[in-house]
Amino acid sequence: MAATIEKGIAFILALLVGGTTSFQLYKDWASTGLDNQVTKLLLGLMAFGCILVILAAVGVLGGG
Amino acid sequence: MAVSSFNQSHDAVMARYDAVDDVYRETRDMRLLGFVLFLVSDVVLFSAFIFAYLYLRNSVPNWPPITNTGHQLPRFDVAFAAVNSCVLFGSGATMHFAMENWKHLNKPAFNLWMIATIVLGITFLGGQVYEYQHVAITWAGSTMGATFFTLTGMHGFHVFIGIIYLITLYIQANNGVYTGSKYFGLTAGTLYWHFVDVIWVALFYLFYLM
Repeated sequence: MAATIEKGIAFILALLVGGTTSFQLYKDWASTGLDNQVTKLLLGLMAFGCILVILAAVGVLGGG
Repeated sequence: MAVSSFNQSHDAVMARYDAVDDVYRETRDMRLLGFVLFLVSDVVLFSAFIFAYLYLRNSVPNWPPITNTGHQLPRFDVAFAAVNSCVLFGSGATMHFAMENWKHLNKPAFNLWMIATIVLGITFLGGQVYEYQHVAITWAGSTMGATFFTLTGMHGFHVFIGIIYLITLYIQANNGVYTGSKYFGLTAGTLYWHFVDVIWVALFYLFYLM
């Protein structure tokens, strides 16, 4: 039961954070310069991390 | 640093960014390159440990492994780690907001997002301590425990250093060290914090999902 609640919380948080990160990435897409390029790469990987959390929360990854 | 309107254009930010003397600009670019190379060297460090983990993992027939006493080790708690991961990823988002607000000369919002980032970072570390106390393996008991505690411990140490770094930046920013055009320290801090987040993406997958 506790695990189900935790997965539900993780799912909602990952949607929120992943959506925010993806939007920031979209907004900054045209920015140039080394710092902005590295930031975009890292934001993209963070959004990927949120997708992993969502997949774990719905039981696709991590053994259900 | 003056507190100004919320929505200044990207062009205004870039104009401020470029409105520095040539010496500072050149120094900033070289420091940025040096800092990115430092992050790359940290990727190499983590990669070495990750490859060692993958080698050990693939050298046994089953994972989680069975100990010499015949005890089957359990999988890690995915649900708790997923929540804790969101806390860390969330801190990456708040750090990004802090940086953006500094660029747009919105200091109150910068302070708010910086504090949020620091609090979330401490929360993540607290979660990791909680997990260490409740996980059913030990450092010395198995290769699984050894690799888990080494890699997540090394990452936790990076988070700990990052929190000290962020607190330092917060104090510096509120004592006039940075301006609207000269804020390399904040840029480096943001990159470091995002880097720590991204390393956790790899560790989360390797230990909890794979």
